[in-house]
Amino acid sequence: MFYRRSGIRHTRYQSERQLFPLGFDRFLILSVLAVLLAAPFLFDRLYVTGYLLPWLIWSSAALGLNLLMGGAGQVHLGYGAVMAMGAYGSVHLMRFGAPLELAMIAGGLISASVGIIFGAAALRVKGIYLAMATLAMQSIVDFVISQTPAISGGALATLQAPPARFLGISLSGERETYYFALLVCAVITLFMLNVRRTSFGRALAAIREKDYAAEILGISTLRYKLMAFWVSSFIGGVVGSVLAICYLRAVSPDQFHLDLSIQILAMVIVGGLGSVLGPFFGAALVLFAPILINNALGSAFSTFGMTVPIDLRAHLPLVAYGALVIGFLLYEPYGLAKIYSNVRTYLLVWPFRHAQR
Amino acid sequence: MSMQAISWATAPDGAPATLVAALHRNAAQFGTRIAFRERKFGIWQQQTWAEVLEEILALAAGFESHGLTAGAVMTLIGDNRPRLYYSMLAANMLRAIPSPAYPDIPLEELIAATKHGAPLLAIAEDQEQVDKLLELREATGRPEVIAFDDDRGLRGYEGQSPGGQGLVSLDSVSEAGRKRLAEEPELRARLLSVARPEDIAILLHSSGTTGVPKGIPLSHGNAARGVLNAAASGYFRQHDELFAYLPIAWVGDFAFIISAGVMMAGVINIPERQETVLPDLRAAAPTFYLAAPRAWDQMLTRIQVGMQESTPLKRKLFDFFMPRAVELEKKRLAGGSPTFSERVVDWFGDKIIRAPLRDWIGLARCDRAYTGGEALGEDTFIFFRALGIKLKQFYGQTETCALTAAQQEGHVKLHTVGRPMQGVEVKLSDEGEILVRSPSVFSGYFDDPESSAKSLTGGWLHTGDAGRIEDDGELVVLGRVSEIVHTAKGERYIPNFIENRLKFSPFIRNVAVMGAGRDMLTAIICIDFDAVGHWAEERAISYTSYADLSQKPQVHALIGTVVEHVNSIQPEGLRIRRFVNLHKDFDADDGEITRTRKLRRNVIETNYAVLIDALYAGDQECTYRAVIAYENGEKGEIVRRLVISEAKP
Repeated sequence: MFYRRSGIRHTRYQSERQLFPLGFDRFLILSVLAVLLAAPFLFDRLYVTGYLLPWLIWSSAALGLNLLMGGAGQVHLGYGAVMAMGAYGSVHLMRFGAPLELAMIAGGLISASVGIIFGAAALRVKGIYLAMATLAMQSIVDFVISQTPAISGGALATLQAPPARFLGISLSGERETYYFALLVCAVITLFMLNVRRTSFGRALAAIREKDYAAEILGISTLRYKLMAFWVSSFIGGVVGSVLAICYLRAVSPDQFHLDLSIQILAMVIVGGLGSVLGPFFGAALVLFAPILINNALGSAFSTFGMTVPIDLRAHLPLVAYGALVIGFLLYEPYGLAKIYSNVRTYLLVWPFRHAQR
Repeated sequence: MSMQAISWATAPDGAPATLVAALHRNAAQFGTRIAFRERKFGIWQQQTWAEVLEEILALAAGFESHGLTAGAVMTLIGDNRPRLYYSMLAANMLRAIPSPAYPDIPLEELIAATKHGAPLLAIAEDQEQVDKLLELREATGRPEVIAFDDDRGLRGYEGQSPGGQGLVSLDSVSEAGRKRLAEEPELRARLLSVARPEDIAILLHSSGTTGVPKGIPLSHGNAARGVLNAAASGYFRQHDELFAYLPIAWVGDFAFIISAGVMMAGVINIPERQETVLPDLRAAAPTFYLAAPRAWDQMLTRIQVGMQESTPLKRKLFDFFMPRAVELEKKRLAGGSPTFSERVVDWFGDKIIRAPLRDWIGLARCDRAYTGGEALGEDTFIFFRALGIKLKQFYGQTETCALTAAQQEGHVKLHTVGRPMQGVEVKLSDEGEILVRSPSVFSGYFDDPESSAKSLTGGWLHTGDAGRIEDDGELVVLGRVSEIVHTAKGERYIPNFIENRLKFSPFIRNVAVMGAGRDMLTAIICIDFDAVGHWAEERAISYTSYADLSQKPQVHALIGTVVEHVNSIQPEGLRIRRFVNLHKDFDADDGEITRTRKLRRNVIETNYAVLIDALYAGDQECTYRAVIAYENGEKGEIVRRLVISEAKP
């Protein structure tokens, strides 16, 4: 209905392959971007730092995991550990006086180099076994961090992140940190949008569909599986350092446990495997649905004057949240991004049912 | 641009006098503007006017080396391809006469169409057309030289005896021409200057609804003055986006695309293939669009079929807004103005349904859409106007560059074809025949002084159309003078009018109404295979072929309701009483319709004499022996049992 396609004519193959050939898609994206850019001036600071900032960081992390899971089809249950390595690595480097720009990259490199070792397991095991191998990684990294005082400062210690500057701008203020997270998220999103159009992205897709078929086609599965783990872990490390420096501002081992891994995994699956838009939807649902349901139930209980046992009051939102996730996946197994894409197609072929000749 | 740039032939008012002069002007003044845009290998490949002029000069020089001289005829055969157009203009530079032929023309007709001027040089689009020209050469000894555009499938031909002699690619022709241009410094100026306004720019052929086609030469002056007069009437604009998909042998393509494109420095968009016309139209989004009534009907059918199978909400919205828009358009045409609530509904209807539909067709940017050639069904006409496409009728003949009269926005009436364009004089003969005098009227048929004298008696072109001129100057075309017929009871009618009403139904693709000299009207109906097939699938009616589907009782009932609907708006004596569904569609290869899809009644009446007798004899069915021509030329016979139905009056 809102989409207009007449008069779009490509005089070069490059323009035919542009990311958003349709004007309305570009309009939507620019509108969202404009709102995000203006957010610190439009909304209350509570919403910006309490909702938008974590949404951007978690979405970035989910994008990184989605490259591995949706892009290359490799399960990973230890993404929290990957982020932990990036977070600790960069915080330590900054405590030694390294600038944020360098520390962030270094954090990514540390995650990538450790991640690739566990990724090597993917060369031999697949599916549920790979899930176990990455789960083992999560436990091992957790253990190593908490048991090595040189890293964590002790089992129960919290490591303060030193004040950071990015390209000469101090990240102590809330607006600055928000824009910094937005920038990192935008860069990762652009990378993810484009990676599918590269030979690397196509090789990953081939491996996702069937790794030995890809091997027969001449794609080195050894190389590309390791690259997938490397790139995904690098993004995880960078996002881990952003998380530590911008949002948490102090790191302790319990922040990067299995809960975080599962949370990001849920964002990817609920959002839509292999989609760039999916992680944003997934992160929004996983982060905010429990809060919203809690508030909604709370106000419902008080309006109707019901006295609910405290146990039920605590657990009912979780039950509703679980039901919501299951409901979405039953309705559309390909995730929220697929629901969006269905709506888009419905409007794209308006007023017909299919795209006609 | 400085004054010294004007070195082309101009008319007294300063406009280019020939197409060649206009090309020269375009290259000098609009050299960097896009001239031709062809979709090839999926993307639109563009050429500017400066590049196009160089290419045409090279082709002209190359053709001259191949012996093309002033006054010689050059045959072109193929679909719309830029280099076929360039070749035409290159021939014009040499004062030679390009004569395009329809790409699907069979050999016998091609022989008839190439008898004028005995062309020695022919341009073919691809291997298929080269094969046809080789057959032509076998039959007549001509053409000596065949130049082809697309070399796919032609590798083995060159050097192969006897077919391969004189077979050259347009690439090599233009390369040789380029070399000549470099070596002979005066050649360029000569090629640009020799064409005269009275030179023949193109040799077209009458569609031949009756008998052998006549050669219709149109001069540069006809085309140039015609386009400029039409532009002065608001018909064309400078730098229009045009869409070249009509057959190059039709006057519409010559006048509205090539002449207008060159004279007004437009952009000529060319689709990749005939099969990709619809998506390419959407991509090109022309600002000026011309289609035959048949094409508008087909477009309407596609919209109706598409909406029928759409989702419930979309269908409900369409069913809500479209009939209201049609009613409002009828009111506007009758001179009324919308009420406030109608305006509100109209605004939402436009945003929700009509704008997306216009976009889907590809006419979102089109502010001048025309139909012509024959009458367009009233309902189709109003539908597209209601859709927001300002569709208008034009009226013209091949003999007048098709530029005689056109409707003007604000003066659109259902029964008229508009006012004569600027510079065009129209009057009626005593018999009610429309006579035309204008700069775009040709100066006589090719090599046929007898017909020329007859059709140009008294300096006026005798169009053969019956018409009348209303008090406000609007021209009404009633039909062909020769087509007005009477039933045995003396009722006067034009079969085409009833046929068009029947064809408005998406289920009927072709129809022939009979009744001249008889006591009642009957019809031979060709169903639309796509639309009826889809209808049958939805009702779980199984069928195997067109012939099988057409004889299903349910299909008979369906067509019966369409006939009854048309009967309900026909006067008592002119209602169709009986009809038969034909086992096949009318086909140009069988001579039943012309290539421009006009009925050839005499052929139909001869071919289906048995069937027509059965219709009038009151039989319930008819056994028809169909003679079929196979593609290899052999003839076979199949026997069909056709059911005859009665229509409620």
